[in-house]
Amino acid sequence: MNRVLTILFRASLIAILAFITLPLLVVVAASFSPTSAVTFWPGDWTFQWYPALLESRWLDPFLLSAELAIIVSLVSGLLGVLAAYSVAYQKCPGHAAIMSFLLSPMAVPQIVKGVAIVLFLSSAGLYKLLGTPGLVMAHIVLTMPYVMRMAATAMFNFDKRLDRAARILGAGPVQRIRYVLLPLIRSGLFSGMTFAFIISFNNIPLSVFLVRPGQTTLPIAVINHLEYSLDPVLAAVNVASLLFVLGTIILFEKIGGFSAHFHGGSK
Amino acid sequence: MATIAFSTPQRPTRIAFPFKVFLPLSLPSIVLLLFFAAPMGLMLGLSFQDQETGTFTLASYGRFFSDELVLKGLGRTVVMSGLVAICVTILAYPLAYYLARSTSRWRTLVFALAIAPELAGVVLRTYGWLVILEDRGFINSALIWSGLISEPLPLSKNLFGVVVGLTHVILPFGILSLLTSLQGINPNLEKSAQILGASRLAVIRYIVLPLSVPGIVSSLLIAFTMAASAYATPALLGGAAFKVMATMVYEQVLFYIDWSFAAVMANVLLAMMLVSAFVGSRLESRLQQKLHL
Repeated sequence: MNRVLTILFRASLIAILAFITLPLLVVVAASFSPTSAVTFWPGDWTFQWYPALLESRWLDPFLLSAELAIIVSLVSGLLGVLAAYSVAYQKCPGHAAIMSFLLSPMAVPQIVKGVAIVLFLSSAGLYKLLGTPGLVMAHIVLTMPYVMRMAATAMFNFDKRLDRAARILGAGPVQRIRYVLLPLIRSGLFSGMTFAFIISFNNIPLSVFLVRPGQTTLPIAVINHLEYSLDPVLAAVNVASLLFVLGTIILFEKIGGFSAHFHGGSK
Repeated sequence: MATIAFSTPQRPTRIAFPFKVFLPLSLPSIVLLLFFAAPMGLMLGLSFQDQETGTFTLASYGRFFSDELVLKGLGRTVVMSGLVAICVTILAYPLAYYLARSTSRWRTLVFALAIAPELAGVVLRTYGWLVILEDRGFINSALIWSGLISEPLPLSKNLFGVVVGLTHVILPFGILSLLTSLQGINPNLEKSAQILGASRLAVIRYIVLPLSVPGIVSSLLIAFTMAASAYATPALLGGAAFKVMATMVYEQVLFYIDWSFAAVMANVLLAMMLVSAFVGSRLESRLQQKLHL
């Protein structure tokens, strides 16, 4: 009986993992498929769809998305550190309540936030902010809580005796922040910023309200195209953007070394 | 006796507002107040306001709950999200249990495989499901080729397709919330039950399952709320006929340019989240009672 259960359990694990990986494999296969009717297992492989990525209709949205993701991850990294410093490090009065205010955007669905922001811009007469400024602003609202939470966790775990030791040795506040605090929370901060980058780069539900015709982000450009046809070019676009995200994560990891953070090894 | 000479001079005990502590907080707070709190407040306010006179009214909500098409969309959203919540939790459970208990070297790989699709984004995964589920897609052409069916099965542009796609998108979140809960259960409880002669099935039924109820409920809840507000997957895999709340909100903003009705819909969606959180906490105590905890 136990044996049968073990076999069933293993089989279910394999089936679930197959379910998770299948759509990704299909897209990779489709990007090398020779016909425009996407077949799962192409007889012969082709790279013919990849040069199309350099056309401005895919390159411009990609550049906009990349630019947004970089700005958003930097700004929310800065804001996240500032907030975490007050709340988790200095433990300002009422820090628990302030933290839950700062995290409150996470409880609101993106589409609701999107409507609220569009309504706000329109009733304040700020139509001009649609496009890049509006997108940056909306994405920051979305990603800042994540960065803040991760930076705050890192600061809560921070050993204050190190800071005291630095002070006894004569380090000023700026030096202590620069040489003690920041290096020790780096992995938490960088994992937050990586999160922000991925969320912003792949975002649809918020961006959809704020893009302007002729100036869209990559996921929106793909989704608009996808509504009409299943074009292998789209598979190539998706594979390329996945590779871009993976490359950026590796880069962030090289600078920030946050994988230690996930194994609890940053202490 | 005059021995007060050595008393230390008292600092004036003035309770100063700790500017140094609050100053770094000001920038993030301003950003959130301006770009999140103010828009949310404005949206709530406008939905209760008469557009011409500016007085308090429930008319927009009346319009929402008397519009048959909108109500159908709401019903569809609830059914879809409920199904996704159940599918996510059922699929996530074995994987989370494996990740919580396994010490094998495959564990890291399984964890990476389970979480990695999150990097790919919703569009890529939805594209993958379209290729698989479409009328001329992978499954249908395989079935037709093998002669099992002659007409393609309706796998996409309907409830089935959306549930499959959303389950895939939300699964990692279910895994993570179940994993946290399962890791909190002391493995010695399972071992001692086995030593006392309980079968694997009995261990799961009487120990693991009841103790993981909070994880099950949080997985159901997260999956439900994420599915109810998901936009891209229902829009693509559901097609024009399968409209849910999120796609209708989007239509109101971009096609009908009726912001106030979009705000009403968004508020109903928000209220639905609050209600489901409440139902979730009720469900948790119910389930725990049922499983004799």
